[in-house]
Amino acid sequence: MPKIEYIGEHLWVGHLGHFAILLSFVAAMFAAFSFYKAREGKDRIWLSMGRIGYGLHALGIFIIVVTLLYAMFHKMYEYSYVQRQVSDELPIYYLFSALWQGQEGSFLLWMLWHVVLGFILIRTAKMWEPRVMAILSSVQVFLMTMLLGIYIPFTENQKIGSNPFALIRDVMDAPIFNNADYLSLITGQGLNPLLQNYWMVIHPPVLFLGFASLTIPFCFAIAGLWSKKHKEWLQPAFKWASFSGFIFGLGILMGAAWAYEALTFGGYWAWDPVENSSLVPWLVMIAAIHVHLIAKSTGRAIGTAYIYYALAFILVLYSTFLTRSGILGDTSVHAFTEMGLENQLILFIASFSFLTVFLLIKNGKSIPKVEKEEAVYSREFWMFIGAMVLLFSGILLTVSTSLPVFNKIMLLFDSNYVGQVITDQMGHHNKYQLWIGVFIGMLSSASLLLRYKEFNWASYRIKFFKNIGLIIALSGIATFIILPYLNTEGWHHGVLLFSGLIAIVTNLFHLFLFGKGNKAQLASFLSHFGFGILILGVLISGLNKRHISTNPFGQKGITSDSRLDKVVTLIKERKFFLNEYWVTYESDTLEGNLRKFNIKFAQYDENNKIVDSFTVRPSAIYDNDFRSIAAWNPSTQRYLHKDIFTQISGYPAHLRDIEVAHQMEDTLKYLPYNLKFNEPLEHEDFTVTLKDINYKPDISENDSTHYDLGLGLKLEFQSKGGSVKKVYNVEPALGLKNALVYQFPKSIDDLNIKIKVSEKLFSDVFEDESHLKYTTLTLNEGESQKWNGLNITLDGFDRNPQHNNYQREEGDIALGGMLRITKEESSKQNVVSIVTPLFIIRNSQQFGIKDYSVELGLHVRFSNIDPKSGDMTFSLAKGNNDLSEYPITIAEGVPRSDILVLEAQVFPGINLVWAGCLMMLFGFFVSMTRKRNTTS
Amino acid sequence: MKKLHIAASITVLIAIALLVMSSKDISSYATFEIAEKSQQRVKIVGHLDHTAEMKYDPENAPNYFSFHMLDANDRSQKVILSEPKPRDFEMSESIVVSGKMQEEGFIADEILLKCPSKYKDEELALKDNS
Repeated sequence: MPKIEYIGEHLWVGHLGHFAILLSFVAAMFAAFSFYKAREGKDRIWLSMGRIGYGLHALGIFIIVVTLLYAMFHKMYEYSYVQRQVSDELPIYYLFSALWQGQEGSFLLWMLWHVVLGFILIRTAKMWEPRVMAILSSVQVFLMTMLLGIYIPFTENQKIGSNPFALIRDVMDAPIFNNADYLSLITGQGLNPLLQNYWMVIHPPVLFLGFASLTIPFCFAIAGLWSKKHKEWLQPAFKWASFSGFIFGLGILMGAAWAYEALTFGGYWAWDPVENSSLVPWLVMIAAIHVHLIAKSTGRAIGTAYIYYALAFILVLYSTFLTRSGILGDTSVHAFTEMGLENQLILFIASFSFLTVFLLIKNGKSIPKVEKEEAVYSREFWMFIGAMVLLFSGILLTVSTSLPVFNKIMLLFDSNYVGQVITDQMGHHNKYQLWIGVFIGMLSSASLLLRYKEFNWASYRIKFFKNIGLIIALSGIATFIILPYLNTEGWHHGVLLFSGLIAIVTNLFHLFLFGKGNKAQLASFLSHFGFGILILGVLISGLNKRHISTNPFGQKGITSDSRLDKVVTLIKERKFFLNEYWVTYESDTLEGNLRKFNIKFAQYDENNKIVDSFTVRPSAIYDNDFRSIAAWNPSTQRYLHKDIFTQISGYPAHLRDIEVAHQMEDTLKYLPYNLKFNEPLEHEDFTVTLKDINYKPDISENDSTHYDLGLGLKLEFQSKGGSVKKVYNVEPALGLKNALVYQFPKSIDDLNIKIKVSEKLFSDVFEDESHLKYTTLTLNEGESQKWNGLNITLDGFDRNPQHNNYQREEGDIALGGMLRITKEESSKQNVVSIVTPLFIIRNSQQFGIKDYSVELGLHVRFSNIDPKSGDMTFSLAKGNNDLSEYPITIAEGVPRSDILVLEAQVFPGINLVWAGCLMMLFGFFVSMTRKRNTTS
Repeated sequence: MKKLHIAASITVLIAIALLVMSSKDISSYATFEIAEKSQQRVKIVGHLDHTAEMKYDPENAPNYFSFHMLDANDRSQKVILSEPKPRDFEMSESIVVSGKMQEEGFIADEILLKCPSKYKDEELALKDNS
């Protein structure tokens, strides 16, 4: 095949990017090696080399990010990654989101955070710098391989990593690339509209900082084990661990808030495999922090701390493996891509697992041990158990989430193996994690009341049991008070409630009785009290959530499996009574590419007074080209004690998608009807009357184009069915632009009809002037003349005339001649029609604007004013067609356009969930900021 | 044996017990035939039968949606969902329903759609030249 000279490509961008990738990769290897050589702290030169290497690595990452952003900003679709993530219409503030939306970009984001944290380590880690940085650099080496995009020699299409600067014509094989100018033909796919949300801008960076932050305590732990300084690493690593607990937790919480607020998962947590796989490392991290605290305070469990930190890090890698290998397949709502990085990720996991195990075997014997056994009434005893429970929670979640992995392994051995799935994901996890919650609530309280190393137990003992007794009594009473309000019969919920209350009461007790006001205590109080509040919130919002979008009068007994109905259909501008609320779908408005629906809720008391009233505004997001609705945003009315969550779960298909609308329109059968003025036309379902004709119909509503001519028919429909006769006034219209006629049909949803004006009417009414035969009449004011069986009287003049086709300009002299036309034979001289043609002088030019008598089909011009005699000359012409009939077409059985299906849910106590989580995280934050201390 | 070890062993035992108990929660993907025979709540994977009628009338019954689905054995079966019709339903590549077989059809209480991911889409987005 001859080499094609492609037009318009910016190849230097890719060359620069690829160079930066190689630089970054090599520099990371060099840094890892140099820091390794500098590990004993003697070789300053190797340390400097390591720093330089790391600096170059950072520079490389920086260039990759900037180059990629540059390519995205300039929409260089020759690059596959750019083509997939951005489009011409993508707003600029989503540029960063587009950067990290894809796989390659998210690895990049992860590494970018490692770079930032690495710089902080270089400045602060002192004696730990070489070893910690050696490990961090080697983590970066592994991560960099994900971006290499190098083909392995002697294999078929096996590559290491995926280069974000790969050209689309190298990635794809399509005939279009035979065209040298293919770039002018392709466009970008852009950011999924579902993700076009401010959460997409902030959630991923925080979550990935969480991932990255978790690496640092791991590096310290490995460095400690490696250098056999088993106690010394505990102090500097603790801040990092607390930071990780805080920021990683925040990232997960943001994901939950996003799911709750903007996505339509219908809750904040769904135990989705993707959610689980980031929750698990965090849980293990929390367990590690507790073991870390034990180690710091008592010198015990250092070996366990090593293992926990290693597990937390390896689980992050495993989570990456799960979510990026496509292995989760059918079990998750998230979409996955297979990039062929599975083997690399497995190698990554195996390498660091091996490193940990190797060092544990090599240096494990030197870990200091405390000979004396932990006392049962010591804090560390129960804390250790608590940490173990957290770890088990993580293991349970991992095992369940890994079922697809297990299936895949089984398939390798037995090709007939039938894969297993969890039938009820939510139920499954709720059932088991509930007990974890119970244990954690109780254990955290017990250990909080005890002291490290059973300090002064003999004299503390009585006080301890008194406090425990009091706490149990108080929590028990509170449980019995609250439980009846929870919508449950399960005793296990009672146990969880009790446990959560114990955590709350104990922490309050502890704060007021023993509070010394130091930061360690504040951190512990916030975290554990927050946990109790979270449990309370989870129970209340989870058990007492209910749908208000159920119509008490309808939809019963559709299926024998009588599940509660979740949604109702609303009709525009009509009130519906749902549970507790009167709900009206009032209107919808278009703002940018959002269609917002205003739905009013009102609650009344017995005296018919409004107790509560609010409007929610769920919205639909249109595609960038407005052809279809791409995604939906729910809307939530927030109160302190509850949220009312609403979303649109159904909307007529022909309004969702223009294709469907065309299809529907094509299948409608329009039947012709001829209307006469003020003469009702009877139809089976309705009567229709032509009331008026409008020469300036309002047809530019959604569309700023100006029409040269317009013609609307004012029709009055009266329904026949039912006891109440309803009247509907509609005005279907035609518009003319550049000799093309456009239809502006109207629908009456209640009658399921759609009405069009026949296009034929246009030529009938606006008859070609050349076909008209005008007769001139000369009239003076007040004078009458007979013409063609009509009496024509010039009643007077309008010196400020209004006319549909006349727009007044400065300096115009305009005169409207008011002609009264009556039929001659009519004895009572009834006025048949009044027409007002105009005579205008503009810039010393004379012209007239004709008027038209609808009733008579009469065209009337004001043709001249004789300046000498003052004679007025009018021209009259009768249209060739008898316009006593006005043709329209009506289609029946048209689906309604004014309905939507609404789901509305009350989440009571949801704010307890958020408050509890934030308190927990703030606890870690306080713990991070506290100074070096010696806990007793 | 240290007390901590005893306590830890108890925790491990409880965890193992929980894991064993949880094995009840899993099952393999069933077929409509199995659902009919077992009368248990099962999970079935399949895809939409485009040839059969799909019924959703939001004006009168927004909580009733029925369609026909082909299971692994290519058996077409009416599935009834007491929920609104999921978005982009026709576009789904595969459908996973959970529920029980009853007289009027397979009554599903949970549905999961796998829609074609935009990444898998090997077609280029061409400029609209109109």
